[in-house]
Amino acid sequence: MKILRTTSVLAALAASLSFGTTFASAGEVVWWTPNFNEARARELVAQFQEANPDITVRLEITVTDGLPQRILTALQSGAAPDIIDVQHGWVNGYAQNNLVIPLDDVVEEGRDDYVPAALDYVSWNDQVWGVPYRIETHAIIYNRGHFEDAGLDPDAVPETWDELVETATALTGNGRSGFAITGGGEVGNTIFRSLPFIWMNGGSIVSDDLTRATVNEPEAVEAVKFYTDFFTNGLSPASTLENDGTANRRLFIAETVSMYQSGQFDVPSIAAENANIDIGVMTIPHPEGAETAAILGGWSFVVPRDARNPDEAKVFLEFLQQPENMGMFTDTFPARTSAMDLPRFDDPILQVFKEMLPYGRPVPIHPNWVQITQAYFDGIQRILLGEDVQAAMDDAADEIQALLDS
Amino acid sequence: MVRQSTGLLFVLPALVVLAMLIAYPVFYTGLLSVTDQQGAFVGTNNFAAVLGARATPQAFWNTLWWVGGSIVFQVILGVATAVLLNQNFPGRGIVRSVTLIPWVIPGIVAATTWAWMFHTEFGIINYMMTAPGLIEAPIGWLSNRDTVLPVMIAINVWKLFPFVAIMVLAGLQSIPNDLYEAARVDGANFWHEVWHIMLPQVRPVIVAVTLLLVIWGLNSITIIYAITRGGPANLTLITPIQIFRLAFESFQFNQAAALSVIFFAVTIVVVFIYIRYLASSPAEAK
Amino acid sequence: MSSLTTTDTPTRTGLGMPFIIVGAIVLVLVCLFPFAWMALSSVKTLGELYTVPPIWWPASPTWENYRTVLFESNIPRYFLNSVIISVGSTGLALILAIFASYGFARFNFRGKSWLQSFVLIGQLLPTAAIIVPLFITLRVLGLVNTFWGLILVYMIITLPLSVWMLTSYFKAIPVELEEAAIIDGASRLGVLFRITLPLSLPGIVAVLVYAFVTTWNEFIFALCFATDSSVKTLPIGLAEFSTEFNTDWGAVMAASVVMTVPIAILFFSMQKLFVGGLTAGATKG
Repeated sequence: MKILRTTSVLAALAASLSFGTTFASAGEVVWWTPNFNEARARELVAQFQEANPDITVRLEITVTDGLPQRILTALQSGAAPDIIDVQHGWVNGYAQNNLVIPLDDVVEEGRDDYVPAALDYVSWNDQVWGVPYRIETHAIIYNRGHFEDAGLDPDAVPETWDELVETATALTGNGRSGFAITGGGEVGNTIFRSLPFIWMNGGSIVSDDLTRATVNEPEAVEAVKFYTDFFTNGLSPASTLENDGTANRRLFIAETVSMYQSGQFDVPSIAAENANIDIGVMTIPHPEGAETAAILGGWSFVVPRDARNPDEAKVFLEFLQQPENMGMFTDTFPARTSAMDLPRFDDPILQVFKEMLPYGRPVPIHPNWVQITQAYFDGIQRILLGEDVQAAMDDAADEIQALLDS
Repeated sequence: MVRQSTGLLFVLPALVVLAMLIAYPVFYTGLLSVTDQQGAFVGTNNFAAVLGARATPQAFWNTLWWVGGSIVFQVILGVATAVLLNQNFPGRGIVRSVTLIPWVIPGIVAATTWAWMFHTEFGIINYMMTAPGLIEAPIGWLSNRDTVLPVMIAINVWKLFPFVAIMVLAGLQSIPNDLYEAARVDGANFWHEVWHIMLPQVRPVIVAVTLLLVIWGLNSITIIYAITRGGPANLTLITPIQIFRLAFESFQFNQAAALSVIFFAVTIVVVFIYIRYLASSPAEAK
Repeated sequence: MSSLTTTDTPTRTGLGMPFIIVGAIVLVLVCLFPFAWMALSSVKTLGELYTVPPIWWPASPTWENYRTVLFESNIPRYFLNSVIISVGSTGLALILAIFASYGFARFNFRGKSWLQSFVLIGQLLPTAAIIVPLFITLRVLGLVNTFWGLILVYMIITLPLSVWMLTSYFKAIPVELEEAAIIDGASRLGVLFRITLPLSLPGIVAVLVYAFVTTWNEFIFALCFATDSSVKTLPIGLAEFSTEFNTDWGAVMAASVVMTVPIAILFFSMQKLFVGGLTAGATKG
């Protein structure tokens, strides 16, 4: 980024001569937060301002459509705000491209209190590049009424893979699909839903030392077959190849799907759009004798390399990471264990999601990770289009190996 | 020559504005394409990397189909619509305004609405075909190897044929009536008029419209990206989406720049040849 | 509509009325089908939006989505921003394009083909490639988060369209008319404004409408270059109805109707201008 740096310095010089309204002035912290956080963010800013009158926090509200593009454009062009809310998975890309600054000094005080997997997610080169504030994992949401219709006990949920297949088979029929998988939409949808099955089965997409593609080894292939068979055997809807997580939720709301994987954020939408559904939640079934697994998702704060006021930003981050503030701000669960004790996390419907948290793992950290997942996802789609599982994963492994070697 | 400089004087302001905006991006893209993330010169490494990627040839052929298929139907349907809208009939003003609607609906909304209507389960299209028994089972329009790209092309044609229609209609409006009258004296019927008067008279318009359609087709990602993101299994991956993914999903700005340079080089040659042989022929006059 | 009929001489042959009627009906159905689906969706309740099988008519139409859009969202504010930016960029593009197109249509000079290609250059580079450097350019000019910033950037999109289309319309006008005027002592500019422009009025209207709509719906530049709500445009407003895992589709559909209908009405009201000047002149004179 040497050239980028030079140009951005020139640009900054010119910019500082010509205007000063758009970006932070001295003592001002510009904070980009997504629209779904807006109300809570305003409240926290008001509290902070009262205690710190010398620092002004200015909120700019972002939208989720095109958010990665907008953030990258700002980071790459050197005209960045002081704090940005980003998904955990994006942090490493920013760190490796030298676009954000390390934040070890911020998390130091509560380091032991953070969920380790969350900190792992935002670490690279032994430094922490983001402050995780929100974590979540998937569980399986199911329709209790459909269980009863099929003569199943809605409280005796499947715990192993075989039981899941049996249950899904029993639920399928009369225009209903037992268990909906995703095969479309953005790559992340299918990674979040299928990679945990590979992990549970002792497999992986790439080896731990990141040198070898392992997606065509027996453990992984078996898990991919388990996942895609739900579609191949007609237990997942005909539209699987065009469905992402949102589409599955809509099918669940339309009562044509009886079970699907998702996070707690889906529960309020289901309740609002179809009050007839009696919602149940179960942990994700695992192979006989193995443990369940999930991908840890969520959001972190980062401070861009080109932030005007990184010091003030850190003061504000100190405030945001206080357990009570983090607990109030998060949409799902907080990244600090002590914040989990707040009363709002006692809701019974959240309990299973809470049980899944310790099984949440970060995805491997590699500069080409996004392209690796794309190669894997293309393979999954080829299987859903009818290709042989082993052949599709062999091709994916070739592509992934090339990405690891480059 | 006096005439030379007068012509230049007319075109200069627009060119200066464009040059001001585009100079740095062109320079920046070129630079990025031959350097790595640290800014060090790496020669043709980025070019080798993108040309070696498995998706590149597939995206290239998909792009050809996408642009070619879209344009043929856009132009044919657009010109036919223009001829129709040039007729005299009651309610013509309303029909003309309605023709504008596909173009006015925001691209992302149009794309999502179509995706919704084509959905295997929720889709009104499958419902309209299964309910009266036209087809037995719903068709997976967006998940079938053979239908997904044609469906994308159909949506793109729907979105842009009104552009051709209105532009050609504007051209038809300017045809002097004497031409029609002269033809009628020779006993020409309606189809003769279309063939021998209307089409030749709006030829420059069709040439320009086609050129713009080629460029937009080559650079349009909204419809495909919003509906399939290039999937399933890269069946609808076109080069601009590949570039978009490289840059904004994979952070490979250098490879994205290299692919952009290749893409740019190919298109500029095509465009230049097109302009040379088609666009600047007849009416230079003086 | 009756005013439009004046352009057509009674003696002209035409397509048979049955042809026209069938054609017009098919055309209207094709154009309106998804729009009708959008409009219907905008008055459905949440539970009626996604059903299997889909339902055509809502049991009890609701105006709730329109209330959300008009009174509880940023849409009205962004509507104003969009009007300013689209009028500004269309106007600027048209002024620049009228001169440039006249130059391309009526003069021959060295490198003309290259310069004509150059007009398209901004659109030959993929958006993904130019967005970062373009942002830097805007910063240097001090135009990030300003109306002028977006108006200028939209020249990349509207100029190719305007210059190319106007050139083709200008070429269609017989050179003899201009020559006659020049012999009568008119200046180049006088010819352009008194003869060429009035004669190509339908083309100018078409270009105007299309340039306007293109900027009206543009998303990615607006998203990256206008981050402050004082300059955000309508497409950003649409995106604000989406959160991480959910989209208020009823509101998006209502907002899209609010974005679309004014343009169609605007075009309808401009129909009088859409009458060929030359045709009218020739018939009357």
